[in-house]
Amino acid sequence: MSNIHEQAGPETAAADHDEKTVVPLKIEDWLTVIVMGLLSLITFANVLVRYFTDQSFAWTEEFSVFLMIVLALVAGSASVARNRQIRIEYFADSGSDKRQRALARFGSIMVFLLFALIAVLSARVVWDDYRFGETSPGIGVPQWWYTIWLPVMSVAIAGRALGLFIRRGRRS
Amino acid sequence: MIPTLLFVAFVVMMLMGVPIGAALGLAGAACIALANSDAQWFGLLAVPQNFYAGLGKYPLLAIPMFVLVGSIFDRSGVALRLVNFAVAIVGRGPGMLPLVAIVVAMFLGGISGSGPANAAAVGAVMIAAMSRAGYPAAFSASVVGAAAATDILIPPSVAFIVYSVLVPGASVPALFAAGMIPGILAGIALIVPTVWMARKHKMGAHEASLPRPELWKSFVEATWGLAAPVLILGGMRAGWFTPTEAAVVAVFYGLFVGMVIYRTIQVRDLFVILRESGELSAVILLVVSLAGIFAFSLSTLGVIDPVTKAIVNSGLGEYGVLALLILMLITVGMFLDGVSIFLIFVPLLWPIVQYYKWDPVWFGVILTLKVALGQFTPPLAVNLMVSCRIAGVRMEETVRWVGWMLFSMFLVMMAVIAWPELALWLPRYLGY
Repeated sequence: MSNIHEQAGPETAAADHDEKTVVPLKIEDWLTVIVMGLLSLITFANVLVRYFTDQSFAWTEEFSVFLMIVLALVAGSASVARNRQIRIEYFADSGSDKRQRALARFGSIMVFLLFALIAVLSARVVWDDYRFGETSPGIGVPQWWYTIWLPVMSVAIAGRALGLFIRRGRRS
Repeated sequence: MIPTLLFVAFVVMMLMGVPIGAALGLAGAACIALANSDAQWFGLLAVPQNFYAGLGKYPLLAIPMFVLVGSIFDRSGVALRLVNFAVAIVGRGPGMLPLVAIVVAMFLGGISGSGPANAAAVGAVMIAAMSRAGYPAAFSASVVGAAAATDILIPPSVAFIVYSVLVPGASVPALFAAGMIPGILAGIALIVPTVWMARKHKMGAHEASLPRPELWKSFVEATWGLAAPVLILGGMRAGWFTPTEAAVVAVFYGLFVGMVIYRTIQVRDLFVILRESGELSAVILLVVSLAGIFAFSLSTLGVIDPVTKAIVNSGLGEYGVLALLILMLITVGMFLDGVSIFLIFVPLLWPIVQYYKWDPVWFGVILTLKVALGQFTPPLAVNLMVSCRIAGVRMEETVRWVGWMLFSMFLVMMAVIAWPELALWLPRYLGY
């Protein structure tokens, strides 16, 4: 039963029920709000400009796709900290408290492993983009301006997963 | 040997509650490393590249936008006004409130793109109303959970957007059009057993004594909601907007209605709306991108071809294979949400679809119908979990009611399999 908790309505989604984290989740939350707002405004501006001036705003596509990737990583980081990833909860959220905690720790350490791996590998990709002076196909800016955020945010997600791992080990 | 081991590890990880995306990404990375053991860095540089490639697609931008639309309309008070208007039309009588719940869920399906969001919006209004009218809470939860499952069939639908990104030759507008008739049929298929059960068990005894809203007044109040699907679907049909643009127009329309007309959304609510929908979209998008790594590893290992060959040469025949797929996907659909199912299974099933020359749009509708059934099949049903939480009942109590609804909607799926034109006629007529 993969479940997306937040769809259950406002009463379960309140941010005040968050567990305490060392690095405040407000950072990711504010970035999420800003990126979501920007995405809607840019896309809406696109529609308006196209209708009123006959001009295409098409180069914004590249930037919008970039913002979407940032959204996935930034808000994804918050969702890792809140343990809201899509997962099968049937076995993991039943049984003894000890088993539940062990499985939660196992899940979070796997997330940590994956994003630590992606951080290392993508840092290498950024280095290549920088070294070879790659430019983006749409706007023509240096490619590493975009790709640099994957290792940075992967480190953040790995950190959030580690935080969850520690918290699940501590709480009784 | 290696692919089998990895597949087993992947399934075990998922069952142990490891996030689906992480399980997909790790299994994919391990496959790539084992297949390229002599290459530089084990060929693993393909991991970040496929992470980007999986996500860097403009059509996917429609997902955060439609999730945002759902979140805004959820709070806008549109559902309540639609319910009042629907009650004013059909009147008060036994079985009428469940019928209204289904019709309103279908109508909201024409605005939002995901089932559980729909269940939350309709459930918040209808479950309390149905309990006042004397319907048992478990029955109300069943009706709302099942009705919300029509959402992913009725356009716009996040499931169709993901499918379209995965499958060449199935455009978003064509899929949206193809889902329309099966979605409406599914809604009708739910109404029949629901009203019959309500009458047979004499539920809703107080309903006839409740006041009936005035028709004209409730119509005027509901117009803003009634116009929304016209704007979204009509705008796409008329070629005014792409799906992504239609979503963003709906975002601003919903904000206008919620903030200016109904005044149900305050400025400070915007933070919560944007944060919630951003996080929910990210959860979906992360699975999409990590599944890109998994799909790439499957193609490098070359495991799909032998499996496909084994299946098509198994002597089951075209319909035998289809029946097997349906059985398997309904089972999986009880555990997994629609987007994850598409991401894991569409790359695996695609060669089979090509072998039998099935229409990709038709196949997408069948898959979506299966996912919709899974969304309200206990004990692991996403939509029912939402509606049961609102109704305060345990999911076990709904088993008695959802059975007939499941059967009835299953017949719709059979009909679409038997007569593919049910799905394919509208997109062809509209010229997609």
